[in-house]
Amino acid sequence: MSRWHHPGDLFEVELVLNGEPATLETHVRATLADAVRAAGLTGTHLGCEHGVCGACTVLLDGDPARACLVLAAQASGRRVDTVEGLGTPDALHPAQQALLEARGLQCGFCTPGFAVLSAWLHDREPEADEERIREVLSSSLCRCTGYGPIVAAAMQR
Amino acid sequence: MSAAIGTSVARARDPLLLTGRGRYVADLDLPGQAWARVVRSPVAHATLRGVATEAALAIPGVLAVLTAADVPDVRIPIRLPFATTPEGLSVLQPVLARDVVRYVGEPAALVLAEDPWTAEDAAELVELDLDVLETAGDPVEAASSSTLVHERLGSNVVNTIPVRFGDVEAAFAAADVVVARRLELPRQTGAPLETRGLVAEPTDGGVTIHGAAKVKHFNRGVLAELLDLPPERVRLVEVDVGGGFGVRGELYPEDVLVPFAALRLGRPVKWVEDRAEHLVATNHARGQVHELEVAATADGRLLGLRGTAWVDQGAYIRTQGILPAILPGHHLPGPYVWEAFDLTAHAVLTHRTPVGTYRGPGMTEASFVRERLLDVLAAELDLDPVELRRRNLIPAERMPFVYDLGSESPPIAYESGDFAGGFEVLLESVGYDSARGEQARRRAAGEHVGLGLAATVEMGAIGPFEDAAVTMSDAGRAVVRVGVASLGQGVETVLAQIAADELGIEPDAVEVRHHDTDDVASGFGSFASRTTVVAGNAVALACRALVKRAREQGVVLAEVGEVTARFEKPHPSFSFGATFSLVSLDPETGRVVPERHVVLHDIGRAINPALVEGQLAGGAVQGVAGALLEELPYDETGQPLAVSLADYRLPTVLDAPPVEVVLVEHPVPGNPLGIKGAGEAGIVGAPAAVANAVADALPPGAEEPLALPLTPQRVHALARPAR
Amino acid sequence: MKAPPFAYARAESLDDALALLAEAGDEAKLLAGGQSLVPLLAYRVLRPTHLVDIDALTSLETHERTPEGLRLGALVRHEQLATMSVKGAERVLAEAAGHVGHLPIRTRGTIGGSLAHADPAAELPVALLALGATLHVRSTAATRDLGVEELLLGPYTTSLAADEAIVGVTVPEAACERRGAFAEFAVRSGDFALAAVAVVATVDGNEKRDVRIALGGVDATAIRASSAEALLERAELTDDAIAEASTAAATDCDPASDAGTSAPYRRALVARLVRDALTRIREEWA
Repeated sequence: MSRWHHPGDLFEVELVLNGEPATLETHVRATLADAVRAAGLTGTHLGCEHGVCGACTVLLDGDPARACLVLAAQASGRRVDTVEGLGTPDALHPAQQALLEARGLQCGFCTPGFAVLSAWLHDREPEADEERIREVLSSSLCRCTGYGPIVAAAMQR
Repeated sequence: MSAAIGTSVARARDPLLLTGRGRYVADLDLPGQAWARVVRSPVAHATLRGVATEAALAIPGVLAVLTAADVPDVRIPIRLPFATTPEGLSVLQPVLARDVVRYVGEPAALVLAEDPWTAEDAAELVELDLDVLETAGDPVEAASSSTLVHERLGSNVVNTIPVRFGDVEAAFAAADVVVARRLELPRQTGAPLETRGLVAEPTDGGVTIHGAAKVKHFNRGVLAELLDLPPERVRLVEVDVGGGFGVRGELYPEDVLVPFAALRLGRPVKWVEDRAEHLVATNHARGQVHELEVAATADGRLLGLRGTAWVDQGAYIRTQGILPAILPGHHLPGPYVWEAFDLTAHAVLTHRTPVGTYRGPGMTEASFVRERLLDVLAAELDLDPVELRRRNLIPAERMPFVYDLGSESPPIAYESGDFAGGFEVLLESVGYDSARGEQARRRAAGEHVGLGLAATVEMGAIGPFEDAAVTMSDAGRAVVRVGVASLGQGVETVLAQIAADELGIEPDAVEVRHHDTDDVASGFGSFASRTTVVAGNAVALACRALVKRAREQGVVLAEVGEVTARFEKPHPSFSFGATFSLVSLDPETGRVVPERHVVLHDIGRAINPALVEGQLAGGAVQGVAGALLEELPYDETGQPLAVSLADYRLPTVLDAPPVEVVLVEHPVPGNPLGIKGAGEAGIVGAPAAVANAVADALPPGAEEPLALPLTPQRVHALARPAR
Repeated sequence: MKAPPFAYARAESLDDALALLAEAGDEAKLLAGGQSLVPLLAYRVLRPTHLVDIDALTSLETHERTPEGLRLGALVRHEQLATMSVKGAERVLAEAAGHVGHLPIRTRGTIGGSLAHADPAAELPVALLALGATLHVRSTAATRDLGVEELLLGPYTTSLAADEAIVGVTVPEAACERRGAFAEFAVRSGDFALAAVAVVATVDGNEKRDVRIALGGVDATAIRASSAEALLERAELTDDAIAEASTAAATDCDPASDAGTSAPYRRALVARLVRDALTRIREEWA
């Protein structure tokens, strides 16, 4: 049996998605961003599809990664956390709550990426200083806010 | 009056957006949908002899390939009557190129397929039979070039727009000093994080289009005509929108092609623009060259301003007509008293992406050009730039202040405000004197630090009117319907606050509906910082009428039924703004660090201060990036050189200075709420102030910064004579 | 910007990867972190017939100290390298890794991927060239070692055969006793560098300095600034010596002039970065 998977084939990716075992029905050309979006998790946004804007940021095995630069196939057997896994409108993650209070969003398109980054900082680097926070947040682009409130939100510990 | 107005009420949708539960057009999938992919010209100018589709059609999953022969021979119209000219009307864009392509990125065919991978594979196989031709690029060269973008026009200059006041010859003759410079701005674009997209579905006798923005009702009317459908059968629906900045929402070729394809196929059609396409297909802006001279007395009184601008309009005139070339002249005089001015702008065609409006259009460019020249003049007169401005800003007691431009043009009419006073407020907020002191200390320590200022006016709150309809329910909830649009700025929240204030209820008891043309019969849309002013006042008037009618009929509000009101705005408003920038730079590498940015804006009256500040801060950072980072250059054959976000450098956290916003409130007469717009104010003075700061920071002997963006390489070159 | 068609297989081991690569032929590519490869697929400037996915080969993600030096598996991620505990001049590599893009790129991108991609402005090749690192390459048939200068032939071009893979990198043990500094200039933090410099020096009284200066972004590949190195061979790191070497380094490269960035400007950046790096080495040693 050939080891090769071809573009027209159905390709199933088994992974842990937002804490639950899941199977993404996708194909080899799809990126992880394409695959989670096709599965209904449309919070991961495509702003550029070449790894610059960060609107597609997810956690891959717990670390921030650009979902548009991971082939869906590569997520097999791994843990993926998208913005939908962080919190709900009635139960926001503290980083999302901070963004809400600081008004760190306008159009909202970049917001999931910043929410994932900010939540990661909050959970994994609670001692991060302003320089580190700004460095990490510089991974993603926002065209609306000018960043002041996004940084202010992440500085709230 | 409740606490609703003037408080920073939270936006109801924020928790949804924060948790990825927004619904942008790319998130929308309809059963049976096909995907569209545009085939675009790879060259800037060529005869299009034919389009070969066989290879594309042979790919499994490809449903159709449309070329010009398959679509109506229609043109993208101009939306703005005052920006419409016979010449402009002769160079409109077809929805698919026929016989000739005129810019890299011009749509030449449309592929329809079952999925976006197949669509893109097929698009690559569509063969355009092209005979490549010479191109006209730089707008100054193009203006006198015999290489024409549109043969039938006989020239690349579409129109020449004069803005004249007083006797400029006399002003220059009387001058002690005349300073002249050539200043340039590159092409830039709004570049919202979300690219454009549409999902069109055929309906019973019509079509519904999801993903509309900005000017839905105009677009509906045009589409009805171009698709040969009754207007009431064309429905445009807004979903969540990922930013606009002027470039999203105008009618583009794809806005016609996608619903046409849906009707042709009898299936929904989904189209999502990718970023590489966005950078060549969505409107550009800002590209212009100014030759400007100012005449003044020895003690710094401005006498005359005279100049020519070449405004790059790209390969076709699109929905905004020659507006990009109209606006600079109207903003060059700015907030100053002039004896005379004579400003000429050429709207020039080039073999490049067509040009529309990007936030603060014409006014941002004019402010850069004028404020740089004023600093150059100040240096020539050995006068502090602050002092030069103080001596010439229009004082409050001269309001309303009108420049009568004669019969050629409506007047530049500043109806209210305190320009000179506002400037002082900025200086005080900045702590200007102590900033100068700090600069001196840092210079003594060897740093290159500069302070820059800009005083600006900004046209906004354009009419002609908006209607609002209000209904109150038994449960004490109100429904407001208005024909404007959300680009992500918080429209619903602000209009809800206004309604809540008038009706004596809480803002969260107000539902604002604007998303659906089936639900709201008409509207002019959201642009030119008009939404809160024009729609807001319409909402206020409708609520007041509702309250009045209830009182007259002796019933409760819920029993009145729906009340509609119109707010007319025959003339635009001008707002005053002022910006301060502090930068440091390294003359050896040319790197400029914007350290501090303060923007002052006369808002009239702030309905929601946090949202206003958000608009101003966001605009300011766009403007700083416009000064230092962003450009869309072309090579000599018309190939765009910025094809990704690695090339078109949007600012990150590390490129954005902290922005301080200072709001002043001079309520506007003749406007029930006394408000002015704010959507564009942050950007208007930013490139001017930053460029002036760079000029101030450069070592003595350096060349003057006269062209944007001030990239490290450019600043390094400016500093060279001083090394 | 969807990828063009390709066949895909996930390797279960290194041997498996090499076998798949050999089977797939000349137009196959290895896929690891994808930070360089996937954008090229999105823009369809690269159209591999096959992708062999080695991203999950965790055995290649390790590092260890051997008698030869610091041995890094080809899949060591930039973020690992940036935060790794390093000695002496090895810091040049850690610093270079910290300059690659942004955090989400560094968690994925690999040292092997960076070398194989051979972007003339890439940070890691510059650092490895200055360190005199050895690259370990394998195919199904053979194993070979080579230096960075033997690997890099031109922009995005290496001497790797179609069926070869970089499996590891060894930074010589001697680096632990040396000093190093890395510097780069990019328009925005995280952008591709307009110029990058790595300096590794033995600073030992008045003995031979053995200074190695590598430049990136200013020639067809990462290169050594040989005349600058020669000037410093027996010199003390005085201000004048540093200035002279910096100027010489600027002439040691042949930068391209592209639309955005001119050759003279890149040379000016080289001079400045070399000066900064040498000054830092001197100050930290003193």
